[in-house]
Amino acid sequence: MEERKYPTRLKMVGHFLRGSKRWFFLAVIFACLVSLFELISPKLIAFTVDSVIGDQVPDVTGMVKTLLEAAGGTAYLKGHLGMIALLIMAAAFASALCRYLFRLFNAKGAETLVKTMRDDLFSHILRLPFQWHSENHTGDIIQRCTSDVEQIKMFLSEQLTSLIRILILITLAVWYMFGIHKTLSLTAVAYIVIVVSYSYYFHHKIGDAFEKVDIEEGRLSSIAQENLTGVRVVRAFGRETYEKEWFEKQNAHYTGLWVHLLNILAAFWSSGDLISNLQILVILAMGSALCVRGSLSAGNFIAFISYNSMLIWPTRALGRVISNLSKAGISIDRLMYIMNAEEEKDDDNAAEPPMNGDICFEHVSFRFANANAEALNDIDFTIKAGTTVGILGGTGSGKSTLMYLLDRLYDLPEDSGRITVGGTDIRMIRRNWLRSHIGMVLQEPYLFSRTLEENIRIASQKSDRNEVRRAARIAALDETVGHFAEGYDTYVGERGVTLSGGQKQRTAIAQMLIRKPPVMIFDDSLSAVDAETDARIRRSLQENTAGSTIILISHRITTLMNADDIIVMDQGRVIEHGSHDELMEKNGIYRKIHDLQYSQSEQEEDHE
Amino acid sequence: MSEKSKKVSLPWFGIPKIMPYLKPYRRTIIAMMIMGCLTSLIDSVYPLFNRYALDHFVAEGTMDTLPLFVISYLVILAAQVVMNYISISQCGAIEMYVDRDLRNASFSHLQELSFSYFNQNNVGYIHARVMSDTGKIGELAAWRMMDIVWNGTYLIFVLVMMFLVNVRLALYVIMLVPAACLIIGFLQKKMIELNRRIREINSRITGNFNEGITGARSIKTLVIEETMDSDFRKETEKMRKTSVHAVRYSAFFSASITMLSSAALAIVLWQGGILTMQQVTQIGTLSVFMSYAMNMLEPIQMLIETIAALIGIQVNIERFTRLMETESDVMDSPEVIEKYGDMFSPKKENWEELKGDVTFKDVSFRYPDGNEMVLEHFDLDVPHGTNVAIVGETGAGKSTLVNLVCRFFEPTEGQILIDGRDARERSQLWLHSNIGYVLQTPHLFSGTVRDNLRYGKPDATDEEIMEALRLVSAEFVIQKMDKGLDSDVGEGGDMLSTGEKQLLSFARAILADPRILVLDEATASIDTLTEKAIQDAISTVIKGRTSFVIAHRLSTIVDSDVILVVKDGKIIERGRHRELMKKKGYYYDLYTRQYEEMIVNTVTA
Repeated sequence: MEERKYPTRLKMVGHFLRGSKRWFFLAVIFACLVSLFELISPKLIAFTVDSVIGDQVPDVTGMVKTLLEAAGGTAYLKGHLGMIALLIMAAAFASALCRYLFRLFNAKGAETLVKTMRDDLFSHILRLPFQWHSENHTGDIIQRCTSDVEQIKMFLSEQLTSLIRILILITLAVWYMFGIHKTLSLTAVAYIVIVVSYSYYFHHKIGDAFEKVDIEEGRLSSIAQENLTGVRVVRAFGRETYEKEWFEKQNAHYTGLWVHLLNILAAFWSSGDLISNLQILVILAMGSALCVRGSLSAGNFIAFISYNSMLIWPTRALGRVISNLSKAGISIDRLMYIMNAEEEKDDDNAAEPPMNGDICFEHVSFRFANANAEALNDIDFTIKAGTTVGILGGTGSGKSTLMYLLDRLYDLPEDSGRITVGGTDIRMIRRNWLRSHIGMVLQEPYLFSRTLEENIRIASQKSDRNEVRRAARIAALDETVGHFAEGYDTYVGERGVTLSGGQKQRTAIAQMLIRKPPVMIFDDSLSAVDAETDARIRRSLQENTAGSTIILISHRITTLMNADDIIVMDQGRVIEHGSHDELMEKNGIYRKIHDLQYSQSEQEEDHE
Repeated sequence: MSEKSKKVSLPWFGIPKIMPYLKPYRRTIIAMMIMGCLTSLIDSVYPLFNRYALDHFVAEGTMDTLPLFVISYLVILAAQVVMNYISISQCGAIEMYVDRDLRNASFSHLQELSFSYFNQNNVGYIHARVMSDTGKIGELAAWRMMDIVWNGTYLIFVLVMMFLVNVRLALYVIMLVPAACLIIGFLQKKMIELNRRIREINSRITGNFNEGITGARSIKTLVIEETMDSDFRKETEKMRKTSVHAVRYSAFFSASITMLSSAALAIVLWQGGILTMQQVTQIGTLSVFMSYAMNMLEPIQMLIETIAALIGIQVNIERFTRLMETESDVMDSPEVIEKYGDMFSPKKENWEELKGDVTFKDVSFRYPDGNEMVLEHFDLDVPHGTNVAIVGETGAGKSTLVNLVCRFFEPTEGQILIDGRDARERSQLWLHSNIGYVLQTPHLFSGTVRDNLRYGKPDATDEEIMEALRLVSAEFVIQKMDKGLDSDVGEGGDMLSTGEKQLLSFARAILADPRILVLDEATASIDTLTEKAIQDAISTVIKGRTSFVIAHRLSTIVDSDVILVVKDGKIIERGRHRELMKKKGYYYDLYTRQYEEMIVNTVTA
C-alpha cells in the first residue's frame, strides 16, 4: 500500500479549508458577538422590571453604575421608559449587524470551501489514471462529488459554526443564570446535560436508518433510470407489467422505511417537547417559590426565564450537531477515497522527444487487474514512421488494449516488455507530450455538451472556423453540418441535438485531424458509418494525412487492405503479419475473413 | 429540453390538480388539521402560565394553588406531546404515501406512453418527473398544509390572546405586522430568484462532473485536462459569487427579523412598562406580552415562506400533471382492451396465435414531431417467414418501417395488417410479446447475465439459455466471466464490450422465440468471424419467422426476400438483390462501391 496523500480526515479537511479558514474564523468571532448582544436584552428587562417599574435598588456596579447615575438614576428612567426601549433597539441593532456579518462571512467561507472542494475533486479526477475510471461507477463518483461535498459544506459551515455559537451561547447564558440564582441554574444545567445526551444518542441511532433510506432511494431511482433508458427493450419484450411491479415493490419498501423513520423522528421530537416543557414547569414552580421566599426578584425571574428559553433550541440542536459529526466523517472518507487515488504522474526524467519515429512493441504482455487471462501476450512488431498499419482482430482480441497501452491510458508494468517511440521507452515520455502527439479516434467517441465547432476544436483552441471546416470536410462531416439549422453552432449533447453514431465518429475524426498529430489511431472508428461514407472518408484521409503514421483498427477488410502492413490479432496474440498480398498468399485467417466478407459480392459479379 | 424553472401560475397553486391523489387520505388530513389547530392553541397558552406565576405566586406572595398549577400544566403538556407525536408521524406518513402513489402513477403511465414521448424528452428529464417532482408535491400535500395550519392558527390565537389581555398593547404590537410582511415578502421574492439561478448553475456543475467522468477516455486522449479544468473553475466561481450574493439577502432578512422582534419587545416594555407603573396591568401581563411579541414574527415568517414554497411547487405540479395528461400516440381502443386486456392485466386466454404476416396497406406516415411525410401511400406485403432487409445511409430513416411494424408508432394514414387484420384490432402487448428486437445500441439491465437473457422469457431454463447462446455463438462471453450465468453485467451492461452486449441481446431476443424478428443495425460492431456465425444462426432462426433486418454491410442481406432501399427518409428502391443489381440504381451504387474498391486496390497493390 503506497503512502496516502491525505492519511487522516483532519488532513483532508485542512486541505479543503485552505482558502476559507479566515472567513470561518471571522464568522465565529461575529457569532460570539451575536450571542453577547442577544444576552443583553434580558438583563435590561430584569433591570427595568425591578428597578424602573419596581422600586428595588439597582444591582449594578462599576461603569454601568456611573453611566446610570450620569443619566439621572432610576428616577429619571421612570419618566423616560422610551430610553430603555431605545437601548434595547440599540442592542438589537448591534446584534443584527453582527448577525448579518456572521452570515455573510460564513457564506463566504462555505462557498469558498465548496468551490475549493469541487475544483480539487474535478481537477484530480481528470488526472486519475483511466484504470481508475473504468473501475469506479460514474453514478457513485458523481454522488460523492455532489452530495458528499454538500454534506461536508453543511457540516462545516452550518453545523460546526453553530456548534461553536451554541457552546458560547450556552456558556454565557449559564454564566448569567448563575449570576441570578445558583440552585435554579443547576436545575437548568441538569436539563442541558439530559437533552444533549438524549438527542446525541437518538441522532446517532437514526443516522443508520437515514443511510438505509438513502440506499433504497438509490435503488428505486436506478430502477426508474434503467427502465427509461431501456424503454425500447421493455416495450419490445412486452415487460411493462414486470417493470411496473418491480418498481412498485421497491417503492413500497422505500416508503415503508421512511414511514418507520418518521415515526421514530416523531417520537423523538415529541419526547423532546416533553422534556423541555417539563423543565420549564420546574423552573416556573421553583422560581415562583424563590420569589415568594424573597430570594429572587420578579425582574430577575423574567430574565431567568428568557435565558432559559434561549437555551432550549440550541441544546436540542446540539445533540444533532454532535451526531452529524459521524455523518460528515463518512462523507469525508468518501472524498478521501477519491483524493487519495494516485494521479497519473510522469517519471522524473521524462522527456519530450520527437514523436515522428518508429513505434516498436517489444514483447508486450498485459493482464487487467481483475482478469484471469492475459489480454495481450508477447506482442512484438514495429510500425515504421510514416506508414499505415492495419490491425484486424475479433471482439476481445486485444487490439484496442494495445492502443490504450501506446497512449498510456493503461501503464505497462515494468517487466512486461516495452513500447518505444523513436527509440524512447514511452514510460520515459511525458504523458501529455505523448498523448498530444498521438491522435486517437475511439469507436464510441464522447462528445461534450458544447457546440459542434467547440467540440471539433476542443483540443486545439487556437484553430479558427476555417480550420474547423477544413477538418470537417476531410471527415465528410461538412455536408451533414450544412443540414443543421445552426450549422457549426449547433449544440451537441444532453441539452442539444443527438448525433447518430456515424456523425459522432466523423466529429471525432475532425477533432483529431485539426490537431495534425504525427501518429493517428482509428480505433474501429468508422464502424457506424455506412460503406459509402467510409470509402469517402478514407480517400480524403489518404490525401490529407501524408507523413503521419496511421494505425487503423477495424474488422472491415476494405478499411485495412490499403495499409502498408497488416497485423492480425487473436486472443491477445499476433497471429499473422504482412501486407495484404502476403496475407492473401498465406491463405490463413486473413484470407478467410477476406473471402467471407467478399465471397458473395464476387459471386454476384460472376453472375452479372 | 432544458429544465428551466419557468414561472407557472395555476389556480389555487395547482392544488386541485393533485386532489385525486390526496383523496384516499382525506380523513387523516382533516384530523391532522384539527390536531394542528389544537397544538397551536396549546402553544399560545403556555405564556399564560408565566403570567399566572408572576401575577399570582410572585406578586401575591403565595404558593397556594401550586398543585392545581402543576396539574393543569401537565395535562396540557401531555395533550400537546401526544398530539404532536400523532401529527408528525401521520403527516410524514401522508407525505410518503402521496409520494409513493404519485411515483407509481407516473411510472405506470410512462410504461404506456408511446415512443414519440421518449424521442422528444431525454431520460434525465423524465426521470426527474418520476423521482423529484413527486417528492416536492408530497411535501406540499403534507408539511406545507400543516405549516399553514400550525402557523396560521398560532398567529390568530396569539393575536386573540393579546387582545383579550390588553387591547392597547395588542394594537401597538400589531402595527409591526404589515412592516414585517412587506420586508419578508420583498426579500423572499429576491431570494427565490437567486435560488433558481443557483440551482441552474448547480445542475451545470453536476453535468460537468458527469462529463469529466464519463468522458475520461476522450479527455485523456485529447489532452484537454487544462481546458476542462479552467472551464469548470469558471462555473464554480460563478456559483460562489451567486451563492454569496444570495446569502447577502438572506442574512439581511434574518437581521431584519431580529430587529423587528426587538422592536416589538421594546414597544411592549416601553408602553407596557408605563401601564404597569400606572398599575393598569401587572408584571405577569407585561411578561406574557413580551413573549407573544417576540414569538409572533416566526409564524409570520413561516407563513410567507410557505406561500413562497406553494408558488414554487406549482412548477412541479404543472410538470407532473403534464406528464400524466400526455396521451400516448399509440393506444389500444376500449374494445381491444375489453377483449385482450390492457398493458398490465392481459387476457392471454383471448390472444390469437400470431403467424407473422405483415402487410402495409396504403400507409402514409409522418413522425408526430416532424412535418414531412416520410412514407407516402406505401404498400408492402410480407407473408410470414419472409426476410425483409432495409438498407441505406446512416440517418436515412431506416428505423421508420421497423417502428411501424412494432407499432411503436402508428401510420398517419392507411393500415398495417398483422395476419390480415389491422394491428389496432389487437393489443400492443399481444404484438410485442411476439416480436424479438435487437437494437443498434444494445441495452442490458444491471443484474446477472441470466436475468438479462430471461427478460423476454422469465421462465427460461439454463439449458434453454445456453442453447440460445450457442445459436448466436456467444458462449465465449459466459465462459470468460467468472460466475457464468450468475455474473453481473454491471450498470447498463458496462462490464461487457459493445459486441458482447450485442451478442447477449441477440440471444435474449431469440430466447423469447418470437414470430417476428427485428434486427436494427445489429451487426455493426461484431467482428467478422462472430458475425458470420451469427449470420448462420440467423438463417436457421429466421426460418419460419418474419424478419426485418437493418444492415450497413450489404453483403449480409443478399439472400433477403425483399430489400428496401432508403434514402432521405423515403423508400426509393425495392426488390430482391438480383433485381436491384440489374436495375443499376442507388442500391447498385452502394453495393458496388465496396466491390470496386477491392478491385482497384488489388490491381494497384
